[in-house]
Amino acid sequence: MTAVIRPIYLQQSRLKKVWENFLTARGVDNFVPEELAQIEITLGMYDESENLVGTGSIANEVIKYIAVCDKGSDQKGARFNTLITALLNQMAQWGRFHAFVFTKPEYRVSFEHVGFKSLADSPTGVILERGTPNIDDYLANLPQAPQQAQNIASIVMNANPFTKGHRYLVEQAAQANDFVYVFVVNQDASLFTTQERMDLVIAGCADLSNVVVVNGGDYMVSFLSFPSYFIKNPDQVIGYQTTLDARLFKNNIAPALRIDRRYLGSEPQSHTTNIYNETLQKELPPAVDVIIVPRLAADGNQATVSARDVRQAIAQGNQAGWENLVPATTGQFITGHLAQLQARIEKGQQINGN
Amino acid sequence: MEIKKTAMAGTLESSDIQIMLSQGSNGLEFDLVSDVAKQFGKAIQATITDVLNTYDIHDAKVKVVDKGALDMVVKARAITVVQRALDMADEPDWKVI
Repeated sequence: MTAVIRPIYLQQSRLKKVWENFLTARGVDNFVPEELAQIEITLGMYDESENLVGTGSIANEVIKYIAVCDKGSDQKGARFNTLITALLNQMAQWGRFHAFVFTKPEYRVSFEHVGFKSLADSPTGVILERGTPNIDDYLANLPQAPQQAQNIASIVMNANPFTKGHRYLVEQAAQANDFVYVFVVNQDASLFTTQERMDLVIAGCADLSNVVVVNGGDYMVSFLSFPSYFIKNPDQVIGYQTTLDARLFKNNIAPALRIDRRYLGSEPQSHTTNIYNETLQKELPPAVDVIIVPRLAADGNQATVSARDVRQAIAQGNQAGWENLVPATTGQFITGHLAQLQARIEKGQQINGN
Repeated sequence: MEIKKTAMAGTLESSDIQIMLSQGSNGLEFDLVSDVAKQFGKAIQATITDVLNTYDIHDAKVKVVDKGALDMVVKARAITVVQRALDMADEPDWKVI
């Protein structure tokens, strides 16, 4: 009668094949290594004849690769609820009480029935979260702009590391607005750790009294990390990721903090960032105005200031190279931690991304 | 009593209820999902509030997903989640039970 749930060890190719076939038959057929690499555990649900009838995986705070077959079950949806219970219990045992789901729009209601709340949607995918601490807790812990502030601007940056270009963007926003939130992307996938990036942005903006630097938390991560395993057409992925990111900001972050402007640096070099900027321009207005600030040119030459060039200079040990591009606060940090940063690059830390 | 850690009890299966309890500072903040919230939402909250009050808990976030649990199930799950949140799961308070 009842189905049993136990882990599926995907390292065993025979089990992995069964798992992939089960998902493929249910419309999930994207098994790219980047999606699979994050998975910590995969649970399988088996009926009395040992047929796989459901599966779901946990990757940090994300539940993914979920599929359930109701065939032979007494009650529609019962297996789904049992499976989600098992996944949430596993996370709770690990001390995680907060979960995200990225899924197709048609499954949104099923997740809402088990306590998930939708944060943002797009035509190809939705993001939901459940448990605690959630986005309300995140927003409640952020500093509030003064009551009398009329224009409240925002900038989201990875700042890997904080350059004169970032500084210029923040200055532009600080001059034209009563209050500015600088959100630093919270993801340890960069040469500089989240803490280092935060500290350098704070140090680099310390003299601007109407600027507050905050951690982007779980809600301002790199949109490229949004799982897209359920999207068949790769061309749709970037549109889904950027739209979801933009709507999450517009629907949840901006209204809670009274943000009415978002500043972006123009991006002549990166195709992906360009698409992102276009999506923000399409999605955010009229609630949030998008202001694109042309990139600052480095002293004495035509090239623009780019954090990527700073990282290159670090890799080459070219002190003049980075000092020309970063404020003194960042420069001091790099000089003081040069060996450490170069060791990270040697260990394989990518420095060519954004 | 102060909640020491976030805890969860119960399941999302039919006739059960899942309760998540975490620290709060603004009274008992309920977030209830149930197909029968209209008819029984208040009763479910009252049962859980009773249990929390018995343990002298007056500030907490209480996230509830009800799947049509009977009152004694609600009470049992509430006691379990409190015991876990207070880090005393292995020393049940017999007076409450």
